[in-house]
Amino acid sequence: MDNLPIPTFQPRLKVLDHRQALAIHTAALEILEKTGIKMENDRARKLLVDAGAKPFDTDWLRIPAFLVEAALRSAPRQILLYDQNGDKAMALRDDHFFFGTGSDTTFTLDLESGQRRGCVLNDTGRFARLVDALPHFSFAMSMSNPQDIPKIEFIYVYTFAEMLRNTNKPIVFIADRLEDMRHIHELACMVAGGDAALRQKPFILNYSEAISPLRFPAHVVDRLMFCAEKEIPICLPSGSNAGGGAPVTLAGALALGIAENLAGLIIHQLTRRGAPFLFGPNVSVLDMKSTVVSYGCPEWSLTQAALADMRDEIYGLPIWSFGGATDAKVVDAQAGAEAMFSIVTAMLSRCNLIHDVGYLEYGSTSSLEMVTLADELIAMARHFLKGIPVNRETLALEALDRVKSAGTRGIFLTDDHTFEHFEEALFLPELLDRSRYDAWMAEGGQDLYRRSNAKARSLLETHRLEPEMDAGLNDEIEALLQRI
Amino acid sequence: MTIDLNPLSEAVIKGNIQAATQEAQKALDGGGDPQTILDQGLIAAMDIVGQRFAAGAMFVPQMLRSAKTMQACVALLKPAFQAGTVSSKGTVVMGTVKADLHDIGKNLVAMMLEGAGFTIIDMGVDVPPEAFVKTVSEKSPEILGMSALLSTTMPAMKATIDALKDAGLRDKVKVMIGGAPVTAKFAGEIGADRYAPDAGSAVAAAKELLQTS
Repeated sequence: MDNLPIPTFQPRLKVLDHRQALAIHTAALEILEKTGIKMENDRARKLLVDAGAKPFDTDWLRIPAFLVEAALRSAPRQILLYDQNGDKAMALRDDHFFFGTGSDTTFTLDLESGQRRGCVLNDTGRFARLVDALPHFSFAMSMSNPQDIPKIEFIYVYTFAEMLRNTNKPIVFIADRLEDMRHIHELACMVAGGDAALRQKPFILNYSEAISPLRFPAHVVDRLMFCAEKEIPICLPSGSNAGGGAPVTLAGALALGIAENLAGLIIHQLTRRGAPFLFGPNVSVLDMKSTVVSYGCPEWSLTQAALADMRDEIYGLPIWSFGGATDAKVVDAQAGAEAMFSIVTAMLSRCNLIHDVGYLEYGSTSSLEMVTLADELIAMARHFLKGIPVNRETLALEALDRVKSAGTRGIFLTDDHTFEHFEEALFLPELLDRSRYDAWMAEGGQDLYRRSNAKARSLLETHRLEPEMDAGLNDEIEALLQRI
Repeated sequence: MTIDLNPLSEAVIKGNIQAATQEAQKALDGGGDPQTILDQGLIAAMDIVGQRFAAGAMFVPQMLRSAKTMQACVALLKPAFQAGTVSSKGTVVMGTVKADLHDIGKNLVAMMLEGAGFTIIDMGVDVPPEAFVKTVSEKSPEILGMSALLSTTMPAMKATIDALKDAGLRDKVKVMIGGAPVTAKFAGEIGADRYAPDAGSAVAAAKELLQTS
């Protein structure tokens, strides 16, 4: 009788224990109960006051802890995102992780010239198409703030439409005004087949932000409540960046960001109980020389790993996260180092929705090369995460006997066992180069940036959506863009 | 009678508010001229802070602490000036444009400019063109500084410059712009006088615009 198989342990990073988690959580509750938040949205303020929040000064509210507990209990622990064909794509819950790109960057690295230039709508499409082609990317974001939009005030509607046309994967989108949300919702309904169908199988998620410290602008909360009503999954991370909008010490920044996020969750759940809410703040740091919000710092990896631990200890809701980004202005060693650091840690902590992959220059510039090479970095980290299966086959004692019997000519390279198992057992890089020097020179002696550039171009040229957008649907989308 | 202002400058550079205010008071009590104490004790110290910051030898929190130290000393000096005899390098009206709520960058620029000896009128965030025009008309600043973080709010910068033109005020004030999505090219397109990428270069640009040191 064979014994039960040994389960494979999958490496997991833990950065916070239960006591730390509880202390941060109770600090967040204390912020809500004693410090209060500035709620500039009248409708939400009334909703909160009716539910038990206490108003003071102009627009300020103190929020009792029981509202937090109720919201955490009613929010769903799993958010299912579908693709645009209606198939299940992303089960956002506990230890599932998914990578994707990021939102509006002012600039992009030109694929042809390598120059940093302002974005155009065509870039939005290309980034979406590249995401569609890359196996380790699960969702698309705009990676652009295009300047060539005919009606610039509708920029977010145009970028959403462009993403629809260039990928079938789920889309995380941003919007500014409620009007943008309505048009984007309308477009999404066209794709899904109506409002009911979209609620049943959402393929979109909205990304909105409150402003640290403690500020909830009216139009942001309008969007939050709209998403709750329509059951459009939403995240509302404030940028509670250490040393900027939040305390420079990370525990305080986390407590503040979480407090703000909980306030958003409460409004969201009071608006529609059980609507999907992706949890968590963006807790990075303000660089103390340049005052940029850093996208390459180790602190953000640490705070979101902490958030993942707090999810497991306390919250139970899937979390919003980042990874694969850099403060470097070009695709150089810093870019590789910083991107890999956050990819590995996000995966090891089991962050759920991991965005901003492919960002350069702290989110000011997007790069198709970065996105392309990051796909392989994710694959490499993934391979590590799979761990080491231990069983009769992998212990390979029979193969060892064979190689021993072959005497001095015995080597595993030629053995059947290697032939049968190597594709599963080993990470087989494509872009990361291990060739011998002369071979590498013969291929042009290209660095990773150039090799990624070539692969990105090739993918963009050859990749086809499955299926490409139906002509009728495309016309419907175009008609809306003309109409607004 | 010459007063040694080095201890004062050192205290400002180190961000030691207690020591700096003591030194400033000592200088005043010793008969020092307030304008000299301001220029050679305080502004000169902030110039060094600015240089060290630009060279990466000082961090923002330290620079802000120095600015705070300087402001504490300026508060001490103010009564010693006769009304209207404090000379500042110029007045700068600052604000984040309409529909934009971001202000960390603007606030840093304002603090740096103050440290360099400019007088600041900070109009806050979400400032519509009309409000900028009104303040420019009422206060006659040398410079108008506008900030935007969103590319969707940048058009308000052009709207403000156009509004200044309509009000016949465009040639009465220099316009500087900044913010993450803003570029020198954009500044040229909308008719701004200068773009600065960060707080340090904003001070240099302001001095250059007014041809002061």
